[in-house]
Amino acid sequence: MVLLLLKRIGFMIFTMIVVSIILFILLETGLTGDPATRVLGNFASAEQKEMWRDQHGYNQPVIIRYAKWLGNFATGDLGTSIRYKGPVKDVLLPRLWSTAILGFWTFAIMIPLSLTLGVLSGMKEGSILDRSISVFGILTTSVPEFASAVFFSALFVFGLKWLPGTSSMSDGFAFKQLILPAMVLVVYDFGYVARMTRASMAEVMTSQYIRSAVLKGLPYRQVIIRHALRNALIAPFTVIMLQINWLLSGVIVVEFFFAYKGFGALLLEASLNNDIALLEACAMVAVVVAVGSQTLADIGYTFLNPRIRFS
Amino acid sequence: MVEKKDNLVAKRVHPGVKEMEKSLGEGKCSRREFLRTTTLLGISATTAYSLASSILGKDILPDLISTAHAAQKKGGVLKFGMMVQEMADPGTYSWTEKSVIARHVIEYLVETGPDNVTRPNLATSWEVSDDLKTWIFHLRKGVKWSNGDDFIADDVVFNFTRWLDPKTGSSNLGLFNAMLEDTGTKDAKGNPIKRMIKNAVEKVDAHTVKINLKSAVLSMPENLYNYPTGIVHRDFEKEGGDFTKNPVGTGPYALTEFKVGEIAVLKKRNEPYWGGEVFLDEIRFIDLGSDPGAYLAAIASKQVDALYELDLTTLQAAKNIPGINVLAIPSTQTGVIRMKVTEKPFDDIRVRQAVQKCCDCQRQLDIAHHGLGIIAEHHHVASIHPEYFKLPPYKQDIAGAKKLLAEAGYPDGIKLTCNVGNTNGVWEQNSVAVLKEDCAKAGINIIINLMPTAQYWDVWTKAPMSLTSWTHRPLAVMVLGLAYRAGVPWNESSYNNPAFDAALDEAEGTFDVDSRRVKMEKVEKILQDDAVMVQPFFRSVFTAVSDKVVGLETHPTKYYRFHKVSLA
Repeated sequence: MVLLLLKRIGFMIFTMIVVSIILFILLETGLTGDPATRVLGNFASAEQKEMWRDQHGYNQPVIIRYAKWLGNFATGDLGTSIRYKGPVKDVLLPRLWSTAILGFWTFAIMIPLSLTLGVLSGMKEGSILDRSISVFGILTTSVPEFASAVFFSALFVFGLKWLPGTSSMSDGFAFKQLILPAMVLVVYDFGYVARMTRASMAEVMTSQYIRSAVLKGLPYRQVIIRHALRNALIAPFTVIMLQINWLLSGVIVVEFFFAYKGFGALLLEASLNNDIALLEACAMVAVVVAVGSQTLADIGYTFLNPRIRFS
Repeated sequence: MVEKKDNLVAKRVHPGVKEMEKSLGEGKCSRREFLRTTTLLGISATTAYSLASSILGKDILPDLISTAHAAQKKGGVLKFGMMVQEMADPGTYSWTEKSVIARHVIEYLVETGPDNVTRPNLATSWEVSDDLKTWIFHLRKGVKWSNGDDFIADDVVFNFTRWLDPKTGSSNLGLFNAMLEDTGTKDAKGNPIKRMIKNAVEKVDAHTVKINLKSAVLSMPENLYNYPTGIVHRDFEKEGGDFTKNPVGTGPYALTEFKVGEIAVLKKRNEPYWGGEVFLDEIRFIDLGSDPGAYLAAIASKQVDALYELDLTTLQAAKNIPGINVLAIPSTQTGVIRMKVTEKPFDDIRVRQAVQKCCDCQRQLDIAHHGLGIIAEHHHVASIHPEYFKLPPYKQDIAGAKKLLAEAGYPDGIKLTCNVGNTNGVWEQNSVAVLKEDCAKAGINIIINLMPTAQYWDVWTKAPMSLTSWTHRPLAVMVLGLAYRAGVPWNESSYNNPAFDAALDEAEGTFDVDSRRVKMEKVEKILQDDAVMVQPFFRSVFTAVSDKVVGLETHPTKYYRFHKVSLA
C-alpha cells in the first residue's frame, strides 16, 4: 500500500517535471512573443525593453533560467503576474478557492442526482423509466456548456428575470449568483455519470448473487440497497473522480460566460494576455489536480474493491 | 518690465480671441469651434459661452456640461461595468478604462467636456504668448491632497519632468514633443533618444507654472486632459510609485478597494471637495471579463447600472431591455487598414492605390458596422473634425484597380495578407472581410490573418498590412501628427513624405479655423493620393445606462466622470 502510494507520488512528480519543461520551452523562450513588450507596453523604447530584460534575467541562458524558475516554483515562489502586477500566488489562491466552491456545489448536486437516476435506470433495463432517463441524459450531455449557458441565460435572466445574469460576486458571496454556473455544469455532466452508473448497475443486476438474493425471497428494496448498490457504485466512483479533471476545463467556458472570478477565467485571461508566470502556475495547478485526482481515484478504488487490494 | 508684469496679472487676452470673435460674427466658424478655440487660448468657458451668445444675439447654453440639476439626490452606490486593469502608474496608462477610475481620485489641470470645450480644473486659467510657444498656467489655490499637503506648482513640475523622462515610459513623451530635444544619441534600433529641454517647465511661484515650447502648439490645454496626464503628488515616486497602493489625490473620491480583474471601489472623501458637491457615496467598478454578453446580462439583471461600452454585437438586444437607455457617442474612432510603404509589394504606390480603389466605403459601413457611423475617405480626417475639408467623393473603381495592378506588374492578380486583432470588436474582422470580397473583383486575394488581441499589439507597427483601431481625437491634426508624420513612434505605415509633413505643420500652426481648413485640403489630398491606407468609415460607439442613473454624460473618448451623477 505504502509502496503504491510512493509510486503514485513519484509518477505525479515526474509528470509535473515533464509538463514544466514543455511549458518553459513554449512560454519562456520567446516563441509566443516578446515578454518585455507585454510588460512595458507597445510604445516602450528598445532601450527600456533591454533594461527590463536585463533586470528580469531574460538575457541569461535558458538552462539557468529554467533551473532558477523550477527552484522558485518548488519553494512556492510562483513569480510575478504581468497583468496583475503582483505575486501570482496572491491572485491564484483566491481564484482556486472560488472554483472549489463552484465545484463543490456542482458535485453536491450532480453526484446524488446522477447516482439516483443511474441506479433507478439500471435497476430495470429497458423499462420506460430507463429509456426516459437515458434519452434525457444523452440529450443534456450532447449540448455543450456554451450553448446551455446561452439558453439558460435567455430563459432565467432575460425571460423570466429570476436569476442574476453574471456571477462576479462583487458585493460578496451570493448563493443566487452560483445557481446558473452550477446549473450549466450539472446539466452537462450528470447525464454522463448517470449513464455510467446505469451500465454498472445493469451489469450487477444480471449477476448470479442478485438472482440468488431475489430467489431466496429477500425484499427487492433490500436486494438493491444491501447487495447491488455497493458493487454497482465502484465504477461510478472512478468516473466521478475523473470529473474533477473535466471540471477544470469545463469551468473555463462557464466562468468566462458568467464572469465568475475563478480559476477557469483566470487561466483564460492569463493566456489571452500572455501572462507567462500566471499561465505557468495555472498549468501546473491543472497538472497537480489531474494527477492528484487520478491518484486518489486509484487509491480509493483499491479500498472499495478488495479484489484489487489483494491481488 | 512693470507694464509687462501688470499685463500678465491682468490676464492678457490672446489676439486670436479677437480674430475668433470676428470669424464667428461673420459666420466663418461654427459656434462649437469658437468655444473650443477661445477656451484653449485661455478664455474661461463661461466667458466663451457668453461671448458667443452676444455675438450671435441668442443664448448659447452649454450642451452637455457637468452641471448639477437642482433635484439631484445625494447618496447611493453606482455600479459601473468595466474592465478593472492594473493601474499603478497614471503616467503610463495605455487604456482609457484605467483613467476612468483614477479620474475620481487624481485630477487633471484642465477638463475637456463632452462638448470638446476645455475648461479649468486644477489650473484656474492660462495665458499664451502670441506665438503660441509660452504658456502660463495659474493653479488653483486652496486645493489639498488627501494626505493633507497643499497642491502647488512643484506637483505640476514634478509630473512634467517625470512624463518627459524616457525612463518613465510615458506616451506623453510624444504628446509634448515641443518640450523635447535630441540628445544626439540613438537607441539600439537607431531611433533618436530625446530628453526634456532644460527649463521647458518652470515654477514661477507657488501657484504659477510656465511652459516653454520650441514650436507653436495650440492644443496644449487639450493635451493636458489626455488620459495619461493625471496629476499625481510630488512625492509619488518617493512613496513607492504605485497609485493603487498609495492613492493620494486631490479628487472627491478615495480608492478603498482594488483587485485587478475584479473590482475597484471609490468612496466619497469626508473632507469638503474644492469642486463642490458630489452626489454618489460610492462608485463600484465591476469587472465582468471580456465577454460582451456578460455585460449585457449584468445590466439586464440590474447587477450594474451602466456600462463603459456596449458592444456592437449586443446593441440590438440591449435596445429591447426595458429600463435601459442605449446612448450613441459620436466619435472619430476608426479602423485603418494601413499598408506599410517600406514593405513589398506596398512599396509600389500602384498596388496600394489598387487596393484603395477596390473599397466601397458605404458597403463597409453598412456591413461591418451596421451602418452606424459616417463614411470616410481614406485620409483619417472625419467630417465631424472642425478642420475637415470636403474633397470630391471617393468612388470604388474596380477597372481602375485592375489597370493599376497590371501596370505594377501583377496582371494576373496578387495575394496579400492582412492582420487583424479585433482589438475593439469583431467589426474589425468584418471590415477586412468586406475589403477581401471587393478586392477579389480586381484579382486581389486578401488572406485574413486573425490574431489574438494581445498578440496584435506586438506586431501592429511591423506587419506589412493590418487593420489598427484608432481612438477618437478632437482635432484631425492631432491624429495625423501621431500616425503619419515621418519617424514618429506610432507611424505604423512608415509613411514618409516631406510634402505631407510640411503641409501638416502649416495646418497645425494656422490658428484661424477657416484658413486651417483651406490648408487641410492639401494635407487630406496628399494622404489620400499616397494611398497609405484603406479607411472606410468612422464608427459610432455605444453605451447602456439604467434609467435610474441621473446626469451621466457620454464622452467621445469615454473619459467618464461621475462628479455630477446621482441615482433616481
